[in-house]
Amino acid sequence: MLIISVALGLASTGADEHVLAGARLFREGRWAEALVEFRVAERLGSTAARGYAGATLVKLGRPEEAVEAFEGPGGPPAGRDALLDYHHAQACWNARLYTCADRLLAGVGERSGPRVAGEAARARAAIAKLLSTEPKPDSVDWYLARCEETARAGRQVLARAYCSEAKALGGRRQDRRGVAEAEAKLSRLAAGREGL
Amino acid sequence: MMVSLSLAAALALAAAPDPCGPVEPAARPDPGIAAVYRVVGDSERAAGSMEAAAAAYRAALSHDPRDADARAGLEAVCARRHELAFAEGLRLMHEGDRRGAIAAFERARGGPDATSAALLEGICLYELGDDARAAPLLRAAEADAAHRENAGFFLGLIALRAGRSADAQDLLAMSAADPALAPFARDLARSARRSGRLVLSFVAESGWDSNVDLAPDIPGPTSRISDMLGAMTGVVDVRPLGESGPYLRGIGNWREQRTYDALDMRSVGAAAGWQGGRSGHFWLAEYGYDRRDLARAPYMSAHRLFGTARVQLGPTTSAGVSWLTRFETFEPDVDADYSGTRHVAEADVVWSPWLRTVVAAGWHGGRDLARAATLSWWEQGPRLSFRFEAAPRTRVGVDSVLAWRRYDEVDPSIGTRRSDAVFDVAALVEVDLADRWTLRGSLALRRETSTSPEFTFTKVVPMVGIGYTVGLF
Repeated sequence: MLIISVALGLASTGADEHVLAGARLFREGRWAEALVEFRVAERLGSTAARGYAGATLVKLGRPEEAVEAFEGPGGPPAGRDALLDYHHAQACWNARLYTCADRLLAGVGERSGPRVAGEAARARAAIAKLLSTEPKPDSVDWYLARCEETARAGRQVLARAYCSEAKALGGRRQDRRGVAEAEAKLSRLAAGREGL
Repeated sequence: MMVSLSLAAALALAAAPDPCGPVEPAARPDPGIAAVYRVVGDSERAAGSMEAAAAAYRAALSHDPRDADARAGLEAVCARRHELAFAEGLRLMHEGDRRGAIAAFERARGGPDATSAALLEGICLYELGDDARAAPLLRAAEADAAHRENAGFFLGLIALRAGRSADAQDLLAMSAADPALAPFARDLARSARRSGRLVLSFVAESGWDSNVDLAPDIPGPTSRISDMLGAMTGVVDVRPLGESGPYLRGIGNWREQRTYDALDMRSVGAAAGWQGGRSGHFWLAEYGYDRRDLARAPYMSAHRLFGTARVQLGPTTSAGVSWLTRFETFEPDVDADYSGTRHVAEADVVWSPWLRTVVAAGWHGGRDLARAATLSWWEQGPRLSFRFEAAPRTRVGVDSVLAWRRYDEVDPSIGTRRSDAVFDVAALVEVDLADRWTLRGSLALRRETSTSPEFTFTKVVPMVGIGYTVGLF
C-alpha cells in the first residue's frame, strides 16, 4: 500500500527515483535499504520522503526516531495521508505516546482500507483500556523526565512529544499533576531554548 | 509509475544481498550521489544502525568505488556486524521473538561467535518445535567444548521428543557434567529411561475399599461392606515415530477383592491412534476397545472413539478440548438396560506457573443414552487438578471432579426422577525409588448425593503400590 501512496504523492523531482526505490524495498521488507533510499531522497529535496522514512523507522523498531521524522520539520501533516497517519500512530504507540497514537488513530478511521481501519479500531480499544483509569503520578513524572532528557540531548521534537503526553496524562488526573510543569517546558521548547 | 509498480511486484520476493558481500557497480555511476549515500551511511552509523549504514555505504561504493571514506565506513560496520547480529538475536530471544532471533543468529553465525549463535538458534528452533533444523545446529555447537553440555542437553530433549530414549539418556547424562544443568538433566535422563518407542509399565497395588457395594449412607436393609483389595495393571505403549505419529496401546487390569468376590475384575483394552504435534500443541485421534469381566463372567464390552486437541496460549498456558464416545454393551441380562452410547466432552486450561507445577481447570459435559430412558442422563460440572514436585523425586497431585447428573425419566422402581451430584477427589503421592521404580500412595474419595436417598453414598479407597516403567528403543 505504501508504494501506491508513494507513487500518487510523487512530485517530479530528481529525488523521485530514490523514493520509488525506497518504496519497492519497503514492500520487500528490506527496511534498512528502504530507509537509506528515503534518507537520500530527503537530502535531494523530496518533500514526501520524510514521512516514508518515518514509516520505515517504525518497521526497524526505532520509534523515537520515527516520531521525530513524522513530527519534525518537513514531516507529513497529520490528516493528509491516512496510511502515514497510521504508521505515525504506530510510532507513537511504540514510543509509549498513547494519547498521541489515539489522536492519530481517531483520524484514520474510514479514510483507510478496511484492514487498517480494523487494526486502528483495535488499537484504539486497547488505548482506551490503558487510559480508562486515572494515570499514576509515576507515569506523568516518567514522561516529564523523558521530556527533560530528550531536550538536553537536543531532540526537541521528541521532547515536545513527551511533554505533550505528560500534559495530556496529567490533565486526566484530578490533581492535574505535572500539567503546569509540562506547559512551561513546552513554552520553553517553542521558544527554541534547548535546555529546559 | 506503472513500470515501478510492476518492478516492485516482480521483486517482491527478492532476497536482500549480503550487507558485507562484494559490491556490484551501478549501471550509471554517479560520484555525486555516492557522496549523499556516504553521508546517510555516516548518519546511520552514528545512530547505531549498522545494517542501514552498511546498505548506504554499499550504495555509495556502487556509484563510486574510489570513495575511500565509504569503504572505510563499510569495513568498520562489517567488522561489527556479526557481533551486532548476535546482540540483536539475544535481545529478540529474551523478548520472546523466537523467529526474529533465529534470523539474527543466522546472520551472526558467520562471525567469531558462530558456535554460540548456532547453539542459541538451535534452542529457538527447538522451542518452536522445528527439531529437524535445530539438531544440526546443536550438533555444530556441541563440537565447541564451551557449549558441549548445553547443546547435548537440547539434543537430549530432541531425542526424548522423538522417542529415542537410549540416545536421550546418553546425551542428558553427558550434559549433567554442567552443574547448572545437572538437576534438570538427571531428571530428564530418568524420564528418558521411562520413555521410548516401546514403553512397558506395570503397577501392583493393594488397598481397602470402605464401601464395596455402594451401600447408602442412611441406615437400611443394605449393610455397608468394606473389603481389602489387590490390583495389578500392565500397559504396553508403542510409538514407532516418537511422540508425534501413530501409536498402539494395550492395557490389562486385574483386581481381586479379599471377600467380596462379585467385584473381582479382569479387564483388557487396546487402542490405536495418531498424534500430530507435540507437548502443549497437538491433536490426537484414537479408536479403542475395552472388555471387562466381573466375577469371572463377561460383564461389559465397549468400542470407543476419542479425540483431543491442545493449543499453546503462551509460554506457560495451554487450552484443550476433548471428546469421547463409547458404545457400551452390558452382558448380564440384569444390566442389559445400561447398554447404550455415552458421550463426554471437556474443555480445559492448563497453567504451569513454575517448573514442575501444573494446574488444570476445566468443565465437562456428558450424555449417556442407555437403552432404558430411566437410566439415561445428562451431566456436567467442573474439574480441577493440581500437580507439583514436593521434593526431589517426589510428586504430589490432587484431582477433583464434580458432576451434576440429571436422569431423563422417572424410575418407577424408586418412584422419582433421579438427580445426583457426584464428587470425586483423589490425592496421589509418587516417589521415584530408582530410575524405573516408583512407590505410589493414593487416597480416593467419592461422595454421591441423590434425590433418592438409597443412591446417596460415600466411599473411601486408600491404596499403596509400586510401579515399574521401562522405555525401550
